[in-house]
Amino acid sequence: MTLLRGLLAGLWLLAGGWAVSLPTEAQADSFVFTAIPDQDESRLQARFGKVADYLSARLGVEVHYVPVKSYAAAITAFRNNQVQLAWFGGLSGVQARRLVPGSEALAQGYEDQFFKTYFIAHHSTGIEPADKLPASVKGKTFTFGSKGSTSGRLMPEFYLRQRFDAAPDEIFSRVGFSGDHTRTIAQVQTGAYQLGAVNYAVWDAQLAAGKIDTDKVRVIWTTPTYPDYQWTIRGDVDQQFGAGFSQQVRQALLAMEDPQLLASFPRQSFVPAGNQDYAPIEDTARSIGLLDE
Amino acid sequence: MTETPLFQLQAQSFHYGAHCVLRDISLTIRRGEKVALLGPSGVGKTTLLDGLYRLRPELSALQPQSGGLVELLSAYQNIFMGGLGRIGTAAALWNLLRPLAAERRAIEALAQRLGLEHRLWYSVDKLSGGQRQRVALGRALFRRQPVFLGDEPLSSVDPLQAHQLLSWVLEQHDTAVVSLHNRQLALNFFERVIVLGNGGIIHDGPTRELSQSQLDQFYQQTGSSTSLPSPAAASAGEGWVIRTS
Amino acid sequence: MMPALTPDWWRESSVRRLNGVSLLMLVLALLALPLADFEVYRSEPWAELGRMGWGLLTPAWEDPSELLWGLVHTLAFAVLAIALSAPLGLLLALVFHWRPVRLVCAALRSVHELFWGLIFMQLYGLSPLTGILAIAVPFTGVFAKVFAEIFLQQSRQPATTLAPGVNALKRAAYTLIPQSWPALRSYTRYRFECALRSSAVLGFIGLPTLGFHLETALKQGQYSAAGALLWAFLLLIASLRYWLRGWLLVPGVVAAVWALPDTVGFGTGGSLWRFVTEDIWPRALLAGDWPGVGRWLAWLWQEQIWPGTVQTLALTQVAVAATGLMVLLCYPWASRSLMGPWLRWPGRFLLLVLRCIPELMLAFVFLLLLGPSGLPVVLALALHNGGLIAFLVANASDAEHPRQGARPGEPRGLLRYAYVETPRRYPAMLALLFYRWEVILRESAILGLLGVATLGFYIDSAFEEIRYDRAFLLIVVTAFLNILVDGASRRLRGSMVR
Repeated sequence: MTLLRGLLAGLWLLAGGWAVSLPTEAQADSFVFTAIPDQDESRLQARFGKVADYLSARLGVEVHYVPVKSYAAAITAFRNNQVQLAWFGGLSGVQARRLVPGSEALAQGYEDQFFKTYFIAHHSTGIEPADKLPASVKGKTFTFGSKGSTSGRLMPEFYLRQRFDAAPDEIFSRVGFSGDHTRTIAQVQTGAYQLGAVNYAVWDAQLAAGKIDTDKVRVIWTTPTYPDYQWTIRGDVDQQFGAGFSQQVRQALLAMEDPQLLASFPRQSFVPAGNQDYAPIEDTARSIGLLDE
Repeated sequence: MTETPLFQLQAQSFHYGAHCVLRDISLTIRRGEKVALLGPSGVGKTTLLDGLYRLRPELSALQPQSGGLVELLSAYQNIFMGGLGRIGTAAALWNLLRPLAAERRAIEALAQRLGLEHRLWYSVDKLSGGQRQRVALGRALFRRQPVFLGDEPLSSVDPLQAHQLLSWVLEQHDTAVVSLHNRQLALNFFERVIVLGNGGIIHDGPTRELSQSQLDQFYQQTGSSTSLPSPAAASAGEGWVIRTS
Repeated sequence: MMPALTPDWWRESSVRRLNGVSLLMLVLALLALPLADFEVYRSEPWAELGRMGWGLLTPAWEDPSELLWGLVHTLAFAVLAIALSAPLGLLLALVFHWRPVRLVCAALRSVHELFWGLIFMQLYGLSPLTGILAIAVPFTGVFAKVFAEIFLQQSRQPATTLAPGVNALKRAAYTLIPQSWPALRSYTRYRFECALRSSAVLGFIGLPTLGFHLETALKQGQYSAAGALLWAFLLLIASLRYWLRGWLLVPGVVAAVWALPDTVGFGTGGSLWRFVTEDIWPRALLAGDWPGVGRWLAWLWQEQIWPGTVQTLALTQVAVAATGLMVLLCYPWASRSLMGPWLRWPGRFLLLVLRCIPELMLAFVFLLLLGPSGLPVVLALALHNGGLIAFLVANASDAEHPRQGARPGEPRGLLRYAYVETPRRYPAMLALLFYRWEVILRESAILGLLGVATLGFYIDSAFEEIRYDRAFLLIVVTAFLNILVDGASRRLRGSMVR
């Protein structure tokens, strides 16, 4: 009779399956944000849960944090109003604001006003640090970070094109995307890739933590500074949560002083920012074909 | 008689794959006839019965040689399948979970006659050869058709019970065509005997004109050279599973 | 694929037929070799590999409840996806002779779970629905196909004893389904293991399963955490046979529903319409600018579709051949008849590890060792799929082998391998390999994520750049390739048994 039970269960599930998989739309009234920090993505829920608690106390509404894996997922969630506030990278913020008219950059990290990218090289290349990106990088293997990253992709690609007037796959014998700054460092350190572009903050933190063997890998060039991570909020939150809500959110972010909370991002503090601060990023993305006109 | 015959074949040939099993068969069977089909194994009895079934599927209940049982279902369900044509879809599906009361009573009565009353809730893979054959017979009876087409329906049942069941089956059906290997049963219960051999019909006539010794002669004539692989064994090799030994 | 004129040797000898098919696959692999992007870079991977190995040996996890919930969610998605897709696949299998059904099923299973995940994420965000559908949709196509093949093997006899007018549903409920029940059950069990793997891997795109934490741990080089996750997953798979029982289905489903993660900030639902009508079409098309569409297509074809297709097919072909060699090398170490009742356990454990570790992770290890090229992709695919098939082959061998040991007079050791076991297993092994062909194609697309320019690389880029029009067309191309390979594999398998 197990046969019959199986059949019955199957039919029951067909009927019940849909009811099952469309659960809770209950939290429609809570304010949801997401954030992908540029380093240490472990235990996100525990760390950013505290940020949610802080915001909840300041704003007087229920605040939830949703962890996501990629900038693309964060943008999608933002666009579909599954999250109303997001800690974006420079490029992903620009992409998100293009897709959600009325959305606004609220604040950036203090460090994000003058962000930069390190070009790093394996010792076997013999390339020396220089003020100008050395021509000897040509023909080597090279890895970016993740495809949608500002510091790991957009800006290094921009400066490569500016320097050599050619696309990365014309400059290098092979171009990869490690997916993450930490992994970029690991892959260049082992020599799997000879060169890489990495977020300076991640490099400095790993160096301080003693995870980098400077005999194996070193910084050979530093890009000029550019604006990066920022908080972006949807334009329709004022209708949903009451007039002036986005201003309250901005104030709450700027007033965040607890080092434990700030360490999650990690930033020393947040400073005001606006959409126009990211115009250079948008232009750059457009110029290298990552954004359409 | 002016009524149209139930089965009529005119110079018909039957093939199994590329092989011609029966050639130029002409045969008429009328309502009310009880016909025994004899001949050594592999001579084409199964093929002929299948051919007859295809002529009148709406009137006939077929009991194939293998029984056509579904191993994991109980004897009850296997018999019940005979009645699927009369029972609505929802009721039939429900019956898999809980037997329908009316059908259950009918099938219990049937099982009593078949000597299966203590085996009705066993899955048929747990039954002996003779019991399985009686389940298959039960299914054919539960079809409640006027015509019974049986392919060695009682070959594994013990002789005494085979006698009783055969006479009962013939009572229950207006017309019957039954292949048998037991010649005595054929002579005792049927009015007409058809003997197959050498790819055709070698005898067709009333039983009273035929004796056991004549029958024995037919069997010797045809010999064993005509043996063919049985269709069941051959078809098991098809499909995507690759035999690994 | 097959010679139009079948020569005598082809008809008369099964061995020659099998050898012919194997040779064809090998030759195709050799032809693909120069097209595939292979290169070895000298590197110094030992420090990093040492850290990985040490992490595996010293698994550690700060917060056990997090690990536990990762496991629970992995299970929950898998249970619900199977509970949804197996009955649906069963129904579709009943009408599989209907051509449109076959085509729809082929399309469903031709898109990898991860890509389904990315698609459903556009619609339902990071909700349980995304996870369940991402597994259930392609699995429904697989179930339909395999169940239909199982049905084809069943005897038609029981059906001939039914009344002629009995409708298909009743007919199936009383004959085909109970007839094939043991095969349906054992295949569903196997699929459940696959569903667990898929569920874990969906974590890579953000669903809260084991893969979510695993991806983070690997990315950040926290190898002890990665070790803990891998061991947990390994235990889950290895223990399946001890607790996976039919009667657990109903309570399992109820528990899975209860254990599903909360949906946070569920969207308004308007995104489905927008996705279908706007997002996946090139802007030129929506604007009615036909020359623009032509330019868009030409560019995509030249820059991504054509090179991506060549690379995907070449890597797949090499990987399939390598998988076959891997199986021949590996299965004897795990079979009772060749290694004896005890010595086979290390082999079985190795095969378990190989089939549990996600290909992406294997590929990452090889990337560190060999540098970036198609080579790590092929090695990862061959090890993972070879481990899986070798395991099934060793099981088949054990099932036939009497526990008492070899009969007297039978050869032992290498001779037994060459003269008894391998000839016996070879046809089934080849059939499994052809089944896996399609899977390897899908996975080689996925491994494009590592930076080898397969179709999967471009699909991933398109999602990252929020260019769903490109992603959609590329997924359609990938699906089409899959359907082609599926057809070729069906023909080759058919030619082996006929």
